[in-house]
Amino acid sequence: MFKRILLPVDGSELSIRAVDTGIALAAALGAHVHALHVLPPFPAVTYFAAIAQANETMYVERAVASAERVLAEVQRRAEAAGVPCTGSHEIDNRPACAIAAAVSKHHCDVIVMATHGWRGIEKLLLGSVTQKTLLLADVPVLVCR
Amino acid sequence: MFKHILLPTDGSDLSLRAAKLGIELASTCGARVYVLHVVAPFHTISYVAEMLAATEAIYTQEATKHASQYVADVRRMAEAAGVECSTHYVTDDHPHEAIVRAAHEQHCDLVVMASHGWRGITRLLLGSEVHKVLLESEIPVLVCR
Repeated sequence: MFKRILLPVDGSELSIRAVDTGIALAAALGAHVHALHVLPPFPAVTYFAAIAQANETMYVERAVASAERVLAEVQRRAEAAGVPCTGSHEIDNRPACAIAAAVSKHHCDVIVMATHGWRGIEKLLLGSVTQKTLLLADVPVLVCR
Repeated sequence: MFKHILLPTDGSDLSLRAAKLGIELASTCGARVYVLHVVAPFHTISYVAEMLAATEAIYTQEATKHASQYVADVRRMAEAAGVECSTHYVTDDHPHEAIVRAAHEQHCDLVVMASHGWRGITRLLLGSEVHKVLLESEIPVLVCR
């Protein structure tokens, strides 16, 4: 069955819930999980004051630190379930492309992700990242509520 | 992990591929599968020639025959894999509603379906039924290519 499960995670509560489903599936199948966090690159024009004030080095430093926190959280949950886990972050402003690329880079055979992340509004709309991942990915996608 | 997997099928090749994956997953998890085919009801105004030419009785007879064939195809795959399987077909204008209802009534914990069925055009578009199931389903949905 599935050997390597890709867990894209943006740190939102829903994405962590999907991570738990992915880890439970991995435990049942004896699979490995790979957590992926996609960071937006430093924008020259932005609407976040904090970003505008910071310089790029500072931004990348903080963004990577927050990525590491998110990935460490996944790692902790995987360890608790006895599931082998690796993690990586990518800098890309099209998360769905980064997720689809990570599938081949890390030889994953399934993706487990939430219906929407931080930017999703409600149940009525499918998150844009999930929607694009469904179209771009070459492997099955398990979409969790 | 998963105990009861819902496999909606419209008889298309893609949906059979999804069913195959669902059965493989069921066999690994020791789950049962519930196969569902949704038959479009008879309409007096229709764009399907078969419906126009036929009387309701003949249409229903044909549709039922197809439905039994479609679910029997999946049943054969499940039996070959040694997976406990029950098959059903219902008549409904809105397949996604029938799918979500069946998932609820049968206490399924996963839906495995193709990214599109007969009506889907290309990989550029997500099938309308799978999209609606993703929005309305209370349980995870595994979307297959």
